[in-house]
Amino acid sequence: MGKLKLGIPRALLYYFYYPFWEKLFSELDIELIVSNYTSREQLDKGIKYSISEICVPIKVYIGHVLDLINQGVDYVYIPRIISIKKNIFLCPKFLGLPDMIKNSIPEIENKILTHQITAKDDSLAGFKNYLGMADKLNISKWKLFWALQKANSHWQEHRKTQLQVNIDKKVLTIALIGYVYNIYDRFINMDLLRHLREMGINIVTFEMVDSQIIEQEVKLFPKPMFWEFTNKLLGAGYHFLKSPDIDGIIYVSAFGCGPDSILGSFLEIDANQANKPFMTLRIDEQTGESHLLTRIEAFVDLLKLKKS
Amino acid sequence: MKITFPHMGTTLIFAKLFELFDHEIIMPPRPSKKTIDLGVKHSPEFACFPFKVIMGSYLEAIEAGADTIVTSGGHGPCRAGYYGELHKKILDDFGHQVNFIIFNAPQDNWSKFMENLKKIKAKKSWFNFWRNLKIIYKLAKAIDNVEKIVEQKRAYSPNGEVDLIWKKAKEEFNKINTIDEIEFVETKVKADLDSLSIHLPADKDRIKIGIIGEIYVVMEESINNYIEEKLNSFGVEVERSHYLSDWIDDTFLPFFGESTKIKAKGQQYIKIGIGGHAQESVGRIVDYKDRGFHGVIHLKPFGCLPELVSQSMLDKIAKDLNIPILSISIDEQIAEANILTRVEAFLDMVRQQKSLEERKIKHG
Ligand code: SF4
Ligand code: SF4
Repeated sequence: MGKLKLGIPRALLYYFYYPFWEKLFSELDIELIVSNYTSREQLDKGIKYSISEICVPIKVYIGHVLDLINQGVDYVYIPRIISIKKNIFLCPKFLGLPDMIKNSIPEIENKILTHQITAKDDSLAGFKNYLGMADKLNISKWKLFWALQKANSHWQEHRKTQLQVNIDKKVLTIALIGYVYNIYDRFINMDLLRHLREMGINIVTFEMVDSQIIEQEVKLFPKPMFWEFTNKLLGAGYHFLKSPDIDGIIYVSAFGCGPDSILGSFLEIDANQANKPFMTLRIDEQTGESHLLTRIEAFVDLLKLKKS
Repeated sequence: MKITFPHMGTTLIFAKLFELFDHEIIMPPRPSKKTIDLGVKHSPEFACFPFKVIMGSYLEAIEAGADTIVTSGGHGPCRAGYYGELHKKILDDFGHQVNFIIFNAPQDNWSKFMENLKKIKAKKSWFNFWRNLKIIYKLAKAIDNVEKIVEQKRAYSPNGEVDLIWKKAKEEFNKINTIDEIEFVETKVKADLDSLSIHLPADKDRIKIGIIGEIYVVMEESINNYIEEKLNSFGVEVERSHYLSDWIDDTFLPFFGESTKIKAKGQQYIKIGIGGHAQESVGRIVDYKDRGFHGVIHLKPFGCLPELVSQSMLDKIAKDLNIPILSISIDEQIAEANILTRVEAFLDMVRQQKSLEERKIKHG
């Protein structure tokens, strides 16, 4: 029998945890197939299988799942990441992700590989979380244990490299607040990062902020968010608000995102009060590139004016 | 202190609560087109619809003189948990001077919770405090008991007799001050309803519809276009998944209320609690099916996070359980006519499916 082919959708937390999954599954001798980059056709398929008012990132995700089914994988890996911090959860759509996929894409049949993850920190390596899955795949506990260790150290290393940023104070620095799947999916954000870099702008994101700083900021907030990634954005966001090195903030938010509507509103009010330039870019299924560019250019011009 | 609070369902219960503690109350007006417009204008575009409506209610109540808003912070991991904080932030930003008393789960911040309680308790003794809470709880139960009968009988009372009794009942309940009085009113109203010459048809001629979904749009009839009354007027019985007294049970006695049982029924579709009431919604469908209901209507605010997860599996559940389900998204743009046509078409389908099944049973 050949190696098991496991599909990983290039969407949602792929952009945060892929290094971990890559190492984990290669240590387990499983062949990983990552879905193709988001494209128009792929997204359209996702849209077709989704409820129209659901947030764009979920539609994107469904498109990627379909793409993997099409590629003939044995399973699609859809973990249910419940919590990566005590008493704080992920957005309801993550909590119900495997249920939603299972009950809305008939083609998936029994091809979902899922298990629950509850962790006390960002690391997904908690051994107990994987036991059921290991049984299903016939993997020995020892092998699983070591694979998790290796995957974890690999991922921790990767996280450290993300923290090293030097801010060049001579050029403009913009903080991008947004979930990894909105910031790094070049298709849905119309290559925002490249556009900004081409304008010679420094970019910072929440992954570059030390988690202790983030937690401190979260503590200052009247009521921390129930959702962990939103909390990370909150902590980073308020940190950026206060830091003089940051010239402006762009909130990259997805159409239909619930948590964003709360956090975005708080940040916007406080940014205005702190006199920090703030702009919300909303990612939807159709936004034209030119429209986006004009808005970014206008914002950057404003920052330049302010800085000079 | 002039207290106001969100308008959700039978507001007389909240009003009674503050009245028993001798607070001055500014009743939130029943949400109208104007309330909604006001709320929409002062809320973030992508906030939940209930958030916007409540914002409108607050602004109207502030206009009428309210200076203190009492609300709950919610306990499920959903946006409702931030309504209070965000309403406050936005109202502050607009320069409105109002105090917020936001009740979060006591375990989150015990001292804050007590501080809030004391504000409500005001000058009453703790003995009176508990007594009053008990009155409110009984009152909520009694009203819900009566309403459940109303939602059934009204289907067979085209001339409005049931509605008349229901309206009078609310007035009577509004006057109570003791538990005895509650019991008296409840018994009397039930007797009045019994004395109407309404005969429930034979089982095979009854149609029962369950309403599930997000709590605010399910409970607040001015927002869901009085869907229960409408259904009744089409001759069908209704029951909904949220009643105020259940909400109290759920909030304060989470492991004793009915909801644990209901959630278990939906386990095969949504494995864990995901926030809001999604798991209950799905569990309720199974429960309604088990109890012989003929159709389910799912109501949710546009873009509601947890209910979108449940909505995404409705087709499958409808197929699995062989029960028609209609899902309606509610927001400021939804037109009443539109809801009505959809409900009517849905009822046609329900009737068709029902007779189809009966024929199947007859002919083996
Ligand atoms: S956090 Fe927002 S964008 Fe992400 S899944 Fe939830 S609703 Fe969608
Ligand atoms: S359950 Fe729906 S309406 Fe209620 S807070 Fe959550 S998203 Fe908003």
